[in-house]
Amino acid sequence: MRVANKVFFDAVKFNLGTITERMAAANEVVSSGKKLNSLSDDPVGLLQALNVKSTIAGIQQQTRNITMAQSWVSGAESALTQAQNIVSESRALAVQMATATVSENERTAAVDMVQGMLDEMVTLANAEVGGRYVFAGTATAETPFAGDGAYQGSPTAYAVRISRSSNLDIGTVGSAVFGDVFNSLAALRDSLAGNDVSGIQDVLGDLGDDFEHLSAQITKIGLKAKRLDMRTQIIQELKIGNLERLSEIEDADYAEAVMNLKSTEMAYQAALTSSAKVTQMSLANFI
Amino acid sequence: MSVTAIFNIAQSALFTHSRSLDVVAHNIANVNTPGYSRQNALLVTNDPVTSGGLMLGQGVNADQVLRSTNEFVEQQLLSQNADLASFEEMEKFARVLESIFSENQDTSLSTRLSDFWNLWQDVANNPAGLSERRALCENTVMLCDQFNALRSDLSQLRRDITNALSSGVDHVNALTQEIADLNAQIVRIEASEPANDLRDQRDQKLNALGEYLDIKTFEQENGAVDVITVKGCILVQRNAYYEMRTGGLSGEKIEWLGSDGAGVDLSAHIDTGRIGGWLEMRDEKIKQYQLELDELSRALIWSVNSQHSQGVGSDLFAPGTVLSGAYKTTGDLSDLAFGGQIQFTGNAFKLWIEDRSDPANPVISAVDIDLSGLNSGSSLSDLAAAVNTQIAAAGLAGVSADGSGAVLTLTADGSHAFGFSDDASGMLAALGLNTFFIGGDADTITLNPLLENEALVAAGLIDSAVGAYYDGDNTNALAMAELQHQSLSIPRWACNRRTGDTSMTTSTTIETYYHTLVGSMGTHSAGITRNRQFKEAMCTQIGALRDGISAVSLDEEMADMIQFQHAYTAAGKLITTADEMLETVLGLK
Repeated sequence: MRVANKVFFDAVKFNLGTITERMAAANEVVSSGKKLNSLSDDPVGLLQALNVKSTIAGIQQQTRNITMAQSWVSGAESALTQAQNIVSESRALAVQMATATVSENERTAAVDMVQGMLDEMVTLANAEVGGRYVFAGTATAETPFAGDGAYQGSPTAYAVRISRSSNLDIGTVGSAVFGDVFNSLAALRDSLAGNDVSGIQDVLGDLGDDFEHLSAQITKIGLKAKRLDMRTQIIQELKIGNLERLSEIEDADYAEAVMNLKSTEMAYQAALTSSAKVTQMSLANFI
Repeated sequence: MSVTAIFNIAQSALFTHSRSLDVVAHNIANVNTPGYSRQNALLVTNDPVTSGGLMLGQGVNADQVLRSTNEFVEQQLLSQNADLASFEEMEKFARVLESIFSENQDTSLSTRLSDFWNLWQDVANNPAGLSERRALCENTVMLCDQFNALRSDLSQLRRDITNALSSGVDHVNALTQEIADLNAQIVRIEASEPANDLRDQRDQKLNALGEYLDIKTFEQENGAVDVITVKGCILVQRNAYYEMRTGGLSGEKIEWLGSDGAGVDLSAHIDTGRIGGWLEMRDEKIKQYQLELDELSRALIWSVNSQHSQGVGSDLFAPGTVLSGAYKTTGDLSDLAFGGQIQFTGNAFKLWIEDRSDPANPVISAVDIDLSGLNSGSSLSDLAAAVNTQIAAAGLAGVSADGSGAVLTLTADGSHAFGFSDDASGMLAALGLNTFFIGGDADTITLNPLLENEALVAAGLIDSAVGAYYDGDNTNALAMAELQHQSLSIPRWACNRRTGDTSMTTSTTIETYYHTLVGSMGTHSAGITRNRQFKEAMCTQIGALRDGISAVSLDEEMADMIQFQHAYTAAGKLITTADEMLETVLGLK
């Protein structure tokens, strides 16, 4: 078959062009460290990479949310535990004051103690984390309990997002959490002030119920704290898994990329050398 | 007589072989001329004569100079080059698209979208905090800027292609004129002998023309070539040529100018060549991306606005506020940007009016706005009248609606504040009252300028039963964050120049829709590159085939040169011998 000179030179140009195109692509992978440098490098992988990046950003956000939730929950838990202690003390006081051997003067003196307990209870119920009230429901900027224990917060709980599909209530509705405790303490104070022994005995029953109620609340909060801890662990693992997946899709394997570059360079050298040799030969050299 | 015959024969040999050497020289000189076909002198014996009872030959003659070509291979090369040119042009624009939508920087739209949803969660974590709200608003401004920039870059690309088309059409017209001229010259010359070099030139021009658009060539008996393009439009007929032009409102169509002055629109039919590549890029691919970007921004605007307009910020709209809608209409409610989404239901939305004449004891009441008496043909003034009537019917005052302009306005007097909740009709979002975004597509999407006051970011909700609202409420912010994973109905587009643009609704989240858009861009671009590489290899192969037939091989020409040189020398020797023979005869006396 006839092979014209033009064919040689065109082939040289085409092949060198193809090899330099491959070399440029290999070089880009090595210098950027990523396999996906432009949209067309791996469209399917690109789609997956975008989804994974969005998931990772979502996980980081959830971590922030959970950290905040944990500080709220632990603040609420310690407030409730102290509240329970106060109820315990008030029961002991009530038991003591209900005996017949106590005089009216002692009961009158105890009124201040109980008032102190009531004030302390209101302070605990107005507990804050980061400048916001944890027992106010969604009205986190306003004091939920008035001085006499009346609830003036929101009837809806304040929630944060801890996962893609669920929110956790961290700012509970104070009236549901504290129940009748303020009324019970006020009743105790009033009974003491009025020297009403049967009244004190009635309040004792109520205070017992309040103690159980607070126990239940503390358990609930404990469960929330546990759930948040579990969630934190799960999220950590999810994050690592997703980062690994992203790296698999996006990042270049350096060893492979450099080998690729080297082999393309070699091919280029070989093409240059053979082109040089072939284009020099001609019958004119011999005539 | 016989000796003079030798002289004649030797003379014919000398002339013929020197002419053959001329042809060899021409070949050698044109070894690098693009599109050159090597020529051969056809050597033919002269007619013999009868002499002395014998048929004696009369030497040699260079009858014709022929060029070596193969029509079939040339046609193949023409069509493959046309496809290659088309893919090369498409590849250039695909590269630009890839860099516009590149996902390698943090400013990519997908990063901004995911940041948007996460910042709503930050607002949900601290609804009363101004810094979280400010961060959300600033990110939103950057998100909208990115939408605007992408959209305008796509429009700019389309304009660039239209400019390229215009200059392409100029080139096409220049080429058709040259081909017609060459036709005239070739027809004249070929009355007597082949016009080899002119044919080479014409083939070059035809190849160049074929790189611009689809053509078919037909050679006539007289040597002229007729060229027609799509839809049977004639470009060249013998020595006459017909031009193409750009037409349409802004020069976006390609038209063929017939002899009656009317233009035939070819934009939908040109498939190969640069013009075909440009048209496909502009009218099918880039158009699709523009439409889908618009759909994405509309879905984002509507879903965010629908939720946001039902919420409340740090406080109700204060007494004395004049709240104007963000969307205009010049006629009916159906002319609003999102007018088609309004449902005219009974319990449409709640308008809350708080009487603050006694600041220590504000009284809040709701007006259940009923839109069942209106329809898409109603005007803003009808709507305003209905709202005002219903406010009065509920026994309330202090807020009035005004629909006399192009937007709906709500005005609160000095002692009343107002807010909204529970919008089942979409009316608030459609009017642009208490919305987060304004604008109707990717070009116009912006953060509502009223939100420069970050307190108006509606993170909370008014309680439907009692009308209570709190500064630290994050219920609406949580609802906004949930929109990230909500499946919406967003149309996908397919644009075809011949069958028109069709859309198909898909159910997907906003982020997935954008990821799929970018992914399909990447797939398309990768496909174009692969095609271009394949066509390049094809063209090189067929080019080698064609060159094997038509191109000059210097070695071959060298060998021919020596061959003809020897023949010339031998012919010279013939003359010397004949001369000596004649001398012998003359020396006989």
